[in-house]
Amino acid sequence: MRLTLSLLALLAAASATQAFAQSDTDTAGPFPVTGNVPALCSGGTVTGSGAFALGVLIDTGTGLLRTDLAAPPQIVAGAFCTTRSTISIAATPLSSVNNIAAPPGGFSRRVDYTATASGWTADAAAFSTGAADNPAATQVRATAFEGDITVAVSDFVTNGGDALRLVSDPEYEGSVTVTLAVDD
Amino acid sequence: MALIPAGAAAQSGDLTRDFGVTGSVPGACAIGAPRLAPGAQINFLGLNGSTLQIDQLVDPTTLSTSAASAEVQFPASCAFPHRVRLESQNNGLWQTSERGAQPPDGFGHAVPYRALVQWAAENLRLDADAKIRRIADGSVFVEAEASGDLLLRLEIDPGATNTSANAPLLAGVYGDTLRITLEPLQ
Repeated sequence: MRLTLSLLALLAAASATQAFAQSDTDTAGPFPVTGNVPALCSGGTVTGSGAFALGVLIDTGTGLLRTDLAAPPQIVAGAFCTTRSTISIAATPLSSVNNIAAPPGGFSRRVDYTATASGWTADAAAFSTGAADNPAATQVRATAFEGDITVAVSDFVTNGGDALRLVSDPEYEGSVTVTLAVDD
Repeated sequence: MALIPAGAAAQSGDLTRDFGVTGSVPGACAIGAPRLAPGAQINFLGLNGSTLQIDQLVDPTTLSTSAASAEVQFPASCAFPHRVRLESQNNGLWQTSERGAQPPDGFGHAVPYRALVQWAAENLRLDADAKIRRIADGSVFVEAEASGDLLLRLEIDPGATNTSANAPLLAGVYGDTLRITLEPLQ
Protein backbone atom coordinates (compact mmCIF):
# COMPACT_ATOMS: atom_id res chain seq x y z
CA MET A 1 0.00 0.00 0.00
CA ARG A 2 2.66 2.42 0.84
CA LEU A 3 4.42 2.01 -2.37
CA THR A 4 1.30 2.71 -4.30
CA LEU A 5 0.63 5.97 -2.53
CA SER A 6 4.05 7.22 -3.09
CA LEU A 7 3.81 6.63 -6.74
CA LEU A 8 0.55 8.57 -6.93
CA ALA A 9 2.01 11.49 -5.08
CA LEU A 10 4.90 11.66 -7.45
CA LEU A 11 2.62 11.58 -10.41
CA ALA A 12 0.48 14.39 -9.00
CA ALA A 13 3.50 16.50 -8.36
CA ALA A 14 4.73 15.99 -11.84
CA SER A 15 1.46 16.97 -13.42
CA ALA A 16 1.12 20.06 -11.25
CA THR A 17 4.48 21.24 -12.31
CA GLN A 18 3.51 20.75 -15.87
CA ALA A 19 0.34 22.92 -15.52
CA PHE A 20 2.27 25.85 -14.10
CA ALA A 21 4.97 25.67 -16.63
CA GLN A 22 2.98 27.94 -18.88
CA SER A 23 3.26 31.20 -16.73
CA ASP A 24 5.38 32.49 -13.87
CA THR A 25 2.77 34.53 -11.91
CA ASP A 26 -0.91 35.14 -12.02
CA THR A 27 -3.18 37.49 -10.08
CA ALA A 28 -6.82 37.43 -9.15
CA GLY A 29 -8.91 40.55 -8.68
CA PRO A 30 -8.96 43.49 -8.20
CA PHE A 31 -11.28 43.17 -5.22
CA PRO A 32 -12.42 46.67 -4.16
CA VAL A 33 -12.22 47.38 -0.49
CA THR A 34 -14.55 50.19 0.38
CA GLY A 35 -15.87 51.96 3.41
CA ASN A 36 -17.52 55.28 3.92
CA VAL A 37 -17.13 58.17 6.25
CA PRO A 38 -20.44 59.89 6.67
CA ALA A 39 -20.47 63.62 6.34
CA LEU A 40 -21.42 64.76 9.82
CA CYS A 41 -20.69 67.16 12.63
CA SER A 42 -20.57 65.84 16.14
CA GLY A 43 -18.90 65.95 19.48
CA GLY A 44 -18.42 69.15 21.39
CA THR A 45 -18.80 69.32 25.13
CA VAL A 46 -19.63 72.63 26.76
CA THR A 47 -17.08 73.68 29.35
CA GLY A 48 -18.44 76.24 31.76
CA SER A 49 -21.90 76.76 33.20
CA GLY A 50 -23.68 76.54 29.85
CA ALA A 51 -25.41 79.88 30.40
CA PHE A 52 -24.60 83.59 30.46
CA ALA A 53 -25.73 84.86 33.85
CA LEU A 54 -25.50 88.65 33.80
CA GLY A 55 -26.94 89.37 37.23
CA VAL A 56 -28.46 92.79 37.95
CA LEU A 57 -28.85 94.59 34.65
CA ILE A 58 -29.25 98.15 35.88
CA ASP A 59 -27.32 100.77 37.78
CA THR A 60 -29.63 101.14 40.78
CA GLY A 61 -28.64 104.79 41.19
CA THR A 62 -29.90 105.83 37.77
CA GLY A 63 -32.22 102.99 36.81
CA LEU A 64 -30.46 102.75 33.43
CA LEU A 65 -28.78 99.72 31.89
CA ARG A 66 -25.31 99.11 33.29
CA THR A 67 -22.52 99.96 30.91
CA ASP A 68 -20.25 97.20 32.22
CA LEU A 69 -22.45 94.14 31.62
CA ALA A 70 -20.35 91.06 30.92
CA ALA A 71 -20.40 87.29 31.36
CA PRO A 72 -17.57 84.78 30.85
CA PRO A 73 -17.58 83.16 27.39
CA GLN A 74 -18.73 79.55 26.98
CA ILE A 75 -16.52 77.05 25.16
CA VAL A 76 -17.77 74.16 23.04
CA ALA A 77 -14.69 71.92 23.12
CA GLY A 78 -13.75 69.16 20.71
CA ALA A 79 -16.46 69.56 18.08
CA PHE A 80 -15.62 68.14 14.68
CA CYS A 81 -17.01 68.03 11.17
CA THR A 82 -15.84 65.44 8.67
CA THR A 83 -16.36 67.70 5.69
CA ARG A 84 -17.07 71.27 4.65
CA SER A 85 -19.36 72.86 7.25
CA THR A 86 -21.24 75.97 8.22
CA ILE A 87 -21.44 77.50 11.66
CA SER A 88 -24.55 79.52 12.49
CA ILE A 89 -25.45 81.58 15.52
CA ALA A 90 -28.84 82.94 16.49
CA ALA A 91 -29.97 84.80 19.59
CA THR A 92 -33.17 86.11 21.15
CA PRO A 93 -33.12 89.42 23.06
CA LEU A 94 -33.06 89.57 26.82
CA SER A 95 -36.72 90.27 27.67
CA SER A 96 -38.75 90.61 30.84
CA VAL A 97 -40.49 87.29 31.44
CA ASN A 98 -43.28 88.59 33.68
CA ASN A 99 -44.02 91.93 32.00
CA ILE A 100 -45.29 91.05 28.58
CA ALA A 101 -47.46 94.12 27.94
CA ALA A 102 -46.01 97.16 26.23
CA PRO A 103 -44.19 99.16 28.90
CA PRO A 104 -45.27 102.71 29.85
CA GLY A 105 -43.53 105.76 28.45
CA GLY A 106 -39.91 106.06 29.51
CA PHE A 107 -39.48 102.33 29.97
CA SER A 108 -38.39 99.31 27.97
CA ARG A 109 -38.75 95.57 28.65
CA ARG A 110 -36.01 94.36 26.34
CA VAL A 111 -32.22 94.43 26.12
CA ASP A 112 -30.51 93.79 22.76
CA TYR A 113 -27.04 92.33 22.47
CA THR A 114 -24.60 90.67 20.09
CA ALA A 115 -23.72 86.97 20.29
CA THR A 116 -20.58 85.65 18.57
CA ALA A 117 -19.17 82.19 17.86
CA SER A 118 -15.47 82.23 17.07
CA GLY A 119 -12.67 79.74 16.56
CA TRP A 120 -14.31 77.69 13.80
CA THR A 121 -14.02 80.05 10.87
CA ALA A 122 -11.71 82.93 9.98
CA ASP A 123 -14.56 85.40 10.57
CA ALA A 124 -16.62 84.81 13.69
CA ALA A 125 -20.32 84.14 13.24
CA ALA A 126 -22.18 87.08 14.80
CA PHE A 127 -25.85 87.81 15.51
CA SER A 128 -27.22 91.08 16.89
CA THR A 129 -30.73 90.83 18.31
CA GLY A 130 -31.44 94.46 17.55
CA ALA A 131 -30.36 94.32 13.90
CA ALA A 132 -32.81 94.11 11.01
CA ASP A 133 -30.72 91.40 9.41
CA ASN A 134 -27.58 89.48 10.30
CA PRO A 135 -25.57 88.51 7.22
CA ALA A 136 -22.63 87.42 9.36
CA ALA A 137 -24.72 84.95 11.34
CA THR A 138 -23.64 82.03 9.13
CA GLN A 139 -20.02 81.38 8.19
CA VAL A 140 -18.57 78.60 6.01
CA ARG A 141 -15.51 76.45 6.66
CA ALA A 142 -14.32 74.81 3.47
CA THR A 143 -12.37 71.98 5.11
CA ALA A 144 -13.03 69.29 7.67
CA PHE A 145 -12.07 70.52 11.10
CA GLU A 146 -11.90 69.74 14.76
CA GLY A 147 -11.61 72.49 17.30
CA ASP A 148 -13.07 74.61 20.06
CA ILE A 149 -15.80 77.16 19.53
CA THR A 150 -15.93 80.19 21.83
CA VAL A 151 -19.41 81.65 22.33
CA ALA A 152 -19.63 85.14 23.81
CA VAL A 153 -22.22 87.90 24.40
CA SER A 154 -21.50 91.63 24.33
CA ASP A 155 -22.67 95.11 23.29
CA PHE A 156 -25.79 95.33 25.45
CA VAL A 157 -28.20 98.17 24.67
CA THR A 158 -31.67 99.01 25.92
CA ASN A 159 -34.17 98.39 23.15
CA GLY A 160 -35.80 101.68 22.24
CA GLY A 161 -32.99 103.97 23.37
CA ASP A 162 -30.38 104.52 26.07
CA ALA A 163 -32.56 106.95 28.00
CA LEU A 164 -35.25 104.34 28.67
CA ARG A 165 -35.24 102.46 31.91
CA LEU A 166 -35.96 98.75 32.27
CA VAL A 167 -39.15 97.59 33.95
CA SER A 168 -38.52 95.76 37.16
CA ASP A 169 -38.51 91.96 36.96
CA PRO A 170 -36.26 89.40 38.62
CA GLU A 171 -36.42 87.33 35.42
CA TYR A 172 -35.05 88.65 32.18
CA GLU A 173 -34.32 85.85 29.70
CA GLY A 174 -32.83 85.40 26.27
CA SER A 175 -31.03 82.57 24.50
CA VAL A 176 -28.15 81.90 22.13
CA THR A 177 -28.09 78.90 19.76
CA VAL A 178 -24.98 77.75 17.91
CA THR A 179 -25.33 75.17 15.10
CA LEU A 180 -22.65 73.28 13.18
CA ALA A 181 -23.98 71.72 10.01
CA VAL A 182 -22.56 69.88 7.06
CA ASP A 183 -22.43 72.15 4.04
CA ASP A 184 -23.74 69.99 1.20
CA MET B 1 -19.22 41.04 -6.04
CA ALA B 2 -18.15 44.05 -4.12
CA LEU B 3 -20.77 45.43 -1.75
CA ILE B 4 -20.94 49.20 -1.69
CA PRO B 5 -22.89 50.75 1.20
CA ALA B 6 -25.77 53.13 0.53
CA GLY B 7 -25.09 56.89 0.04
CA ALA B 8 -23.01 58.54 2.74
CA ALA B 9 -25.51 61.42 3.21
CA ALA B 10 -27.91 59.25 5.15
CA GLN B 11 -25.70 59.52 8.22
CA SER B 12 -24.89 63.31 8.31
CA GLY B 13 -26.02 65.24 11.41
CA ASP B 14 -26.07 68.77 12.80
CA LEU B 15 -24.56 69.72 16.11
CA THR B 16 -26.60 72.27 18.07
CA ARG B 17 -25.89 73.86 21.42
CA ASP B 18 -28.19 76.24 23.31
CA PHE B 19 -27.11 78.77 25.91
CA GLY B 20 -29.47 80.67 28.21
CA VAL B 21 -28.91 84.38 28.87
CA THR B 22 -30.36 85.65 32.14
CA GLY B 23 -30.49 88.84 34.15
CA SER B 24 -32.65 90.71 36.66
CA VAL B 25 -33.86 94.24 37.23
CA PRO B 26 -34.67 95.19 40.81
CA GLY B 27 -37.49 97.62 41.54
CA ALA B 28 -35.29 100.66 41.84
CA CYS B 29 -36.43 104.26 42.10
CA ALA B 30 -34.21 107.24 41.44
CA ILE B 31 -34.68 110.99 41.96
CA GLY B 32 -32.34 113.50 40.38
CA ALA B 33 -31.25 116.97 41.38
CA PRO B 34 -33.95 119.66 41.63
CA ARG B 35 -34.29 122.60 39.32
CA LEU B 36 -36.68 125.53 39.41
CA ALA B 37 -39.60 125.28 37.04
CA PRO B 38 -39.27 128.19 34.66
CA GLY B 39 -41.38 131.30 35.26
CA ALA B 40 -43.38 130.00 38.22
CA GLN B 41 -41.80 131.79 41.17
CA ILE B 42 -43.29 134.55 43.26
CA ASN B 43 -41.19 136.05 46.03
CA PHE B 44 -38.53 133.37 45.88
CA LEU B 45 -34.87 134.17 45.31
CA GLY B 46 -34.11 130.84 43.82
CA LEU B 47 -32.70 127.40 44.38
CA ASN B 48 -29.27 127.31 45.96
CA GLY B 49 -28.15 123.69 45.82
CA SER B 50 -31.12 122.10 47.50
CA THR B 51 -32.18 125.18 49.50
CA LEU B 52 -35.16 127.23 48.33
CA GLN B 53 -34.78 130.80 49.46
CA ILE B 54 -37.73 133.09 50.00
CA ASP B 55 -36.98 136.66 49.01
CA GLN B 56 -39.00 138.62 51.56
CA LEU B 57 -40.93 136.59 54.07
CA VAL B 58 -42.43 139.66 55.71
CA ASP B 59 -44.46 142.42 54.10
CA PRO B 60 -42.85 145.67 55.31
CA THR B 61 -46.22 147.43 55.70
CA THR B 62 -48.05 144.79 57.74
CA LEU B 63 -45.03 142.98 59.22
CA SER B 64 -46.95 139.83 58.44
CA THR B 65 -46.26 137.11 55.94
CA SER B 66 -45.89 137.94 52.28
CA ALA B 67 -47.33 135.68 49.62
CA ALA B 68 -44.81 133.39 48.01
CA SER B 69 -44.91 130.42 45.69
CA ALA B 70 -42.41 128.33 43.79
CA GLU B 71 -42.30 125.18 41.69
CA VAL B 72 -39.40 122.77 41.68
CA GLN B 73 -38.89 119.87 39.24
CA PHE B 74 -37.05 116.65 40.00
CA PRO B 75 -36.29 114.14 37.24
CA ALA B 76 -37.44 110.83 38.69
CA SER B 77 -38.10 107.27 37.73
CA CYS B 78 -39.46 104.12 39.38
CA ALA B 79 -39.26 100.77 37.62
CA PHE B 80 -41.92 99.27 39.84
CA PRO B 81 -45.22 100.22 41.51
CA HIS B 82 -44.30 102.53 44.33
CA ARG B 83 -45.31 105.02 46.98
CA VAL B 84 -44.51 108.71 46.95
CA ARG B 85 -44.01 110.18 50.40
CA LEU B 86 -43.65 113.85 51.25
CA GLU B 87 -42.40 114.71 54.70
CA SER B 88 -42.12 118.11 56.37
CA GLN B 89 -39.74 118.16 59.30
CA ASN B 90 -41.28 121.15 61.09
CA ASN B 91 -44.88 121.20 59.82
CA GLY B 92 -44.41 124.81 58.69
CA LEU B 93 -41.71 127.45 58.55
CA TRP B 94 -40.49 127.77 62.11
CA GLN B 95 -37.78 129.96 63.56
CA THR B 96 -34.42 128.30 63.33
CA SER B 97 -32.81 130.91 65.53
CA GLU B 98 -33.74 133.52 68.12
CA ARG B 99 -36.25 131.26 69.78
CA GLY B 100 -37.38 132.96 72.96
CA ALA B 101 -38.83 131.16 75.92
CA GLN B 102 -42.39 132.22 75.20
CA PRO B 103 -43.46 134.11 72.13
CA PRO B 104 -45.36 137.31 73.05
CA ASP B 105 -49.10 137.43 72.39
CA GLY B 106 -50.26 138.80 69.13
CA PHE B 107 -47.15 137.76 67.24
CA GLY B 108 -46.85 134.89 64.87
CA HIS B 109 -43.77 132.73 65.13
CA ALA B 110 -44.34 130.11 62.46
CA VAL B 111 -45.61 130.26 58.89
CA PRO B 112 -47.93 127.60 57.47
CA TYR B 113 -47.72 126.61 53.84
CA ARG B 114 -49.07 124.10 51.33
CA ALA B 115 -46.87 121.61 49.53
CA LEU B 116 -48.26 119.91 46.44
CA VAL B 117 -46.60 117.04 44.60
CA GLN B 118 -47.58 116.05 41.07
CA TRP B 119 -46.16 112.77 39.82
CA ALA B 120 -47.33 110.15 37.35
CA ALA B 121 -50.91 111.47 37.17
CA GLU B 122 -51.17 111.38 40.97
CA ASN B 123 -51.45 114.40 43.25
CA LEU B 124 -50.30 114.61 46.83
CA ARG B 125 -51.09 117.56 49.08
CA LEU B 126 -49.50 118.29 52.41
CA ASP B 127 -50.84 121.13 54.56
CA ALA B 128 -48.06 122.18 56.90
CA ASP B 129 -50.36 124.12 59.23
CA ALA B 130 -47.66 125.24 61.72
CA LYS B 131 -49.96 124.60 64.66
CA ILE B 132 -47.50 122.27 66.37
CA ARG B 133 -43.86 121.86 65.50
CA ARG B 134 -43.67 118.22 64.50
CA ILE B 135 -43.07 115.96 61.52
CA ALA B 136 -45.95 116.00 59.08
CA ASP B 137 -46.19 113.70 56.10
CA GLY B 138 -48.47 112.38 53.43
CA SER B 139 -48.16 109.70 50.78
CA VAL B 140 -49.84 108.41 47.66
CA PHE B 141 -49.55 105.08 45.86
CA VAL B 142 -48.62 104.86 42.21
CA GLU B 143 -49.76 101.57 40.71
CA ALA B 144 -47.31 101.36 37.81
CA GLU B 145 -43.81 102.18 36.72
CA ALA B 146 -43.32 105.87 36.03
CA SER B 147 -40.67 108.11 34.63
CA GLY B 148 -40.54 111.85 34.10
CA ASP B 149 -40.48 115.02 36.18
CA LEU B 150 -41.82 115.09 39.72
CA LEU B 151 -43.26 118.54 40.41
CA LEU B 152 -43.24 120.10 43.88
CA ARG B 153 -45.19 123.32 44.36
CA LEU B 154 -44.98 125.40 47.52
CA GLU B 155 -47.56 128.05 48.34
CA ILE B 156 -47.53 130.56 51.20
CA ASP B 157 -50.62 132.69 51.63
CA PRO B 158 -50.29 136.36 52.48
CA GLY B 159 -50.79 137.04 56.18
CA ALA B 160 -50.61 133.36 57.06
CA THR B 161 -49.19 132.79 60.54
CA ASN B 162 -49.58 130.11 63.14
CA THR B 163 -51.47 132.41 65.52
CA SER B 164 -53.90 134.66 63.73
CA ALA B 165 -54.18 135.91 60.20
CA ASN B 166 -52.08 138.97 59.45
CA ALA B 167 -50.35 138.84 62.83
CA PRO B 168 -46.87 140.37 62.73
CA LEU B 169 -44.07 137.85 62.62
CA LEU B 170 -41.30 137.70 65.19
CA ALA B 171 -37.88 138.46 63.83
CA GLY B 172 -35.63 135.56 62.94
CA VAL B 173 -34.71 133.04 60.30
CA TYR B 174 -37.59 130.72 59.44
CA GLY B 175 -37.20 127.42 57.70
CA ASP B 176 -38.38 123.87 57.16
CA THR B 177 -36.93 120.74 55.54
CA LEU B 178 -38.92 118.75 53.02
CA ARG B 179 -38.11 115.19 52.04
CA ILE B 180 -39.52 113.42 49.02
CA THR B 181 -39.19 109.64 48.96
CA LEU B 182 -40.04 107.20 46.18
CA GLU B 183 -40.37 103.72 47.65
CA PRO B 184 -40.81 100.66 45.44
CA LEU B 185 -43.53 98.37 46.80
CA GLN B 186 -41.68 95.07 46.91
